[in-house]
Amino acid sequence: MIRFEQVSKTYRGGHQALSHVDFHVEPGEMAFLTGHSGAGKSTLLKLISLMERPTAGRVLINGHDLRKIKPSQVPYVRRDIGMIFQDHRLLMDKTVFDNVALPLIIEGYSVQEARKRVVAALEKVGIADKVKHYPKMLSGGEQQRVGIARAIVTKPPLLLADEPTGNLDPKLSMEIIRLFEEFNKVGVAVLIATHDLGLIARLRYRTLTLKDGRMINDGLEDSEL
Amino acid sequence: MSLLFRNRSIEKGASNRGRLPWWRRLIMVPVHHAQQAIASLGELWRNPFASFMTMAVLGLSLTLPSSLYVLVKNTTSIADNWQEASEVTLFLRKDLQQSEVDTLKTQTELSEGVESVRLIPKEQGLEEFKKESGFGETLDYLSSNPLPDVLVVIPAESHRSPQRAEELLNRLEKQREVAYAKMDLEWLNRLQGILNLIEDILGALAVVLCLSVVLIVGNTIRLNILSKRDEIMVMKLVGATNAFIQRPFLYTGVWYGIIGGLVAWLATALLIWWVESAVVDLTELYETPFQLNGLTLGELLIIWLVAVGLGLAGSYLAVRRHIQSIEPE
Repeated sequence: MIRFEQVSKTYRGGHQALSHVDFHVEPGEMAFLTGHSGAGKSTLLKLISLMERPTAGRVLINGHDLRKIKPSQVPYVRRDIGMIFQDHRLLMDKTVFDNVALPLIIEGYSVQEARKRVVAALEKVGIADKVKHYPKMLSGGEQQRVGIARAIVTKPPLLLADEPTGNLDPKLSMEIIRLFEEFNKVGVAVLIATHDLGLIARLRYRTLTLKDGRMINDGLEDSEL
Repeated sequence: MSLLFRNRSIEKGASNRGRLPWWRRLIMVPVHHAQQAIASLGELWRNPFASFMTMAVLGLSLTLPSSLYVLVKNTTSIADNWQEASEVTLFLRKDLQQSEVDTLKTQTELSEGVESVRLIPKEQGLEEFKKESGFGETLDYLSSNPLPDVLVVIPAESHRSPQRAEELLNRLEKQREVAYAKMDLEWLNRLQGILNLIEDILGALAVVLCLSVVLIVGNTIRLNILSKRDEIMVMKLVGATNAFIQRPFLYTGVWYGIIGGLVAWLATALLIWWVESAVVDLTELYETPFQLNGLTLGELLIIWLVAVGLGLAGSYLAVRRHIQSIEPE
């Protein structure tokens, strides 16, 4: 599903965020990406969502080389990837409904057509009763659920999450991870970047570990134990 | 539409949209546009002061050229009304027989570019001169009539412009019987020159003002875009194309134009109303009833279209530069 081949990324100014990273996440697989802050987790996710381009090597999604994606095609690639952020990235002056419906509206759905799907997505994350609220009226955990609902409302085959549990207590974090597990069960590939090692330890998933831009542990053996 | 995952929608069990027939999707295009247009009108309403300032600038900038245009239009129509200005007076040689004068009159009547010819015999000329000059009786002491016969030629419609009238004058003057010909051309030429000058100034002024309107609208839209930076980033993250993000801003520009155009109408009408009473007072002194012509329906429509065009151009300028440059981080 996601394949990195000898990927390096050097930012302008000379900071090398990733060097010679190789890995492959299978379709329908769930994996964690970990490492201390500044190790390159966010850069790696940005390469997948085309917010950055690699300096060397190539990134493939479903066998498609992202180097061949023109800037005008980037939006269409992003529609295939559900993205979840630590800071939720919600539109604060729009209701929960409008936030979750946004990806559908962008794809050309009318509000009426989107309604059923939005409600279904909100039900899945357990906040169907908050549809008319504004994000500010919600707790951190609930805001994160809105972000997740927005990511899954188009039923993408791939979910990326950047520190989705960053601001949440352990109990809430585990609930969020359980949500991801549910999506994974219906065949969605999930890649979660987190530095919450305690959380990972309790789960038995493949863990990719980055250190100073290098992949030091693919964790395949762990998950096969 | 999926680039990376072919048949994605089928794989996921056909979405609602996939099942919509093409004609319904076609109908939805204008509906979507209308929805976005109304949404951006609502957006204007949320920040009425700043929006109205831009609209007022747009409208008032158009008021000056359109008022000047009304001025030029009316002056031109006055100039057209003064036919006498294009009257050609032919002074005939004194040694002509009456029959020769009559032949010349008929000839001139038939020649090209002449509408009518009026003969003022020298006796009648002297009578008129006596009456109007105030010399009265004194002229009786003259042993002979010093005045020549005069033909007053009114050029045809097609020969009334200063240039054509002068051509006619030169042509008529060449005739053997004519001593010399005269026309109050200088005056007409000067008026035409002034009108041309005003028209040129009007054109230049209009261009400069339109350009500044485009820049002002562009700047307002730019600020709009920058204040929505975060929102634009989020939209890009969930896969919005530039075109999709641009559309509401372009509609905002169109609304600026629509309402700015109305402002221009109102301000121009007010200005004309203000000037009209002064013009009527002035023309009463000349004892010529005069009606100031305002803008016609077609001209109002043109002003409106120009306003909308400027609004759209300004927002397009801002949108092109700034939406592309905002990229999610």
